Amino acid sequence: MKVGFFVGCNTAFNRPDLEKAFRYVLPILGVDIDDLDGQSCCPTWGTMPSVDEAGWCALGARNFLISEEKNVDMVTVCGSCYGSLAETKNKLDTKPELREKVNEMLKAIGKEYKGSTKIRLATNFFYNEIGIEKIKSALKYTLEGVTVGVQPGCHSLWPSEAYLEGEKDSFHPVMLRELCEALGASAPYYSRVVDCCGMGGMRSTNVEASFKLVKTKLDSMKNEIKADLLVTGCSSCLIQFDTAQAPMKKDKKIDYEIPSIHYVQLLALCLGADPQQVVGLSTTDMSGILGKLKKIN
Amino acid sequence: MAEIEVLNISEGEVGFSDEIMKLGAEELLDCIQCAKCAAACPMVLAGFEFFNKRVIQSILIGQKEILLDDSSIWACQACNRCTEVCPRKVEPFGVIMAMRRSAMKEFALPTLAIEGLKSLYDVGHAVYFSNAGENRKKVGLPEKAPTTANNPQALKELRILMNKSTLSSLGIIPMDAGLTDVTCCEV
Repeated sequence: MKVGFFVGCNTAFNRPDLEKAFRYVLPILGVDIDDLDGQSCCPTWGTMPSVDEAGWCALGARNFLISEEKNVDMVTVCGSCYGSLAETKNKLDTKPELREKVNEMLKAIGKEYKGSTKIRLATNFFYNEIGIEKIKSALKYTLEGVTVGVQPGCHSLWPSEAYLEGEKDSFHPVMLRELCEALGASAPYYSRVVDCCGMGGMRSTNVEASFKLVKTKLDSMKNEIKADLLVTGCSSCLIQFDTAQAPMKKDKKIDYEIPSIHYVQLLALCLGADPQQVVGLSTTDMSGILGKLKKIN
Repeated sequence: MAEIEVLNISEGEVGFSDEIMKLGAEELLDCIQCAKCAAACPMVLAGFEFFNKRVIQSILIGQKEILLDDSSIWACQACNRCTEVCPRKVEPFGVIMAMRRSAMKEFALPTLAIEGLKSLYDVGHAVYFSNAGENRKKVGLPEKAPTTANNPQALKELRILMNKSTLSSLGIIPMDAGLTDVTCCEV
């Protein structure tokens, strides 16, 4: 099986250790990667979606066309990319007038959107395509005794009509919890599990307001399930939780730190990856978690 | 006791609802202000003044200036909880996006949004760090990512499409006017 890797901006330029983790994990699980050379920003919400719908969808469609020409689905580790592209696809596939307008724009670059390829989020892809049992059988390390607080991320959940392989009940997500349990960790429910991380436009607009959401979420995770580790399904959530805690600690908003990691990075560690390469750019301290990886004999 | 601000709604901008509907909020008039969207909105939890329900209400009574003066619409996370729960299929997130499109026309957008658009046009990425190559090498990846940032042909295609969008008439970022009528892709 081959997939196209939609790497997005934050992963390629901010957290390439997450990109490295994805490139490490997939071949081990029997999946080849196509780079989708020439891909651009999804485009993200504060840019073209805020300008006009057709312009947004034209840029998204150009990304889809790279996959269409190679006859592969796109997989991304970024919830924001997944949300923008999945909505683009949903609009193009359900609004004929918009599709016509976008195809008129695409004519200028000699292309036409046909809709034959899908955008898939890595965690959904692992859950639905690879499967829990295959992941378990490939592990070199497990995380027994580690309690995980999961952060699926808004853009893997809503609008559910755009996410064709999402959760059965988007307000009670289970996929990421089960994926973490497949690694040997426990991943209990906590009351703020579907809360927003406050990254993106909110953090850019008012960082203090954004940190209120971070604190609410972290407090819930710490007090209700005593989480050792925060695991996200989205690179934007990862960047938020990984970079917000140090300044919050300095300002005495929190007096603890929960190491934060993307699921793909955690999976890479459990498959035997070099920590320097797959979590080497983490701001939160990974040493405690790395020490809890238990080798399978 | 805090002073209560009274709005004279007869001073609201006539036709504002129509403008927002044309910008993508087709079901705007179906809103009954039930507040289910507000109950689900992270902006409410974070304390922003103009969250989905209030944005819709303000549009309905023509309060364009109030919305343009407040930055809340730019804090919307596009999480779509509101769209998921709306019993009237108003798509409140779509209303916020339509309001942003109106604000764009008035040049009432935050600096970061301008920078994001400029970066998108310049390299194909809203988020871009020119020194990212060092970290990429550090984790064992090629210095250059396989994207528009390192593919002139692909970047030209992207710019042609951006020139064909509404962005080209807004004057928010410098764009290559020569690309507006281009229908081929030679670099």
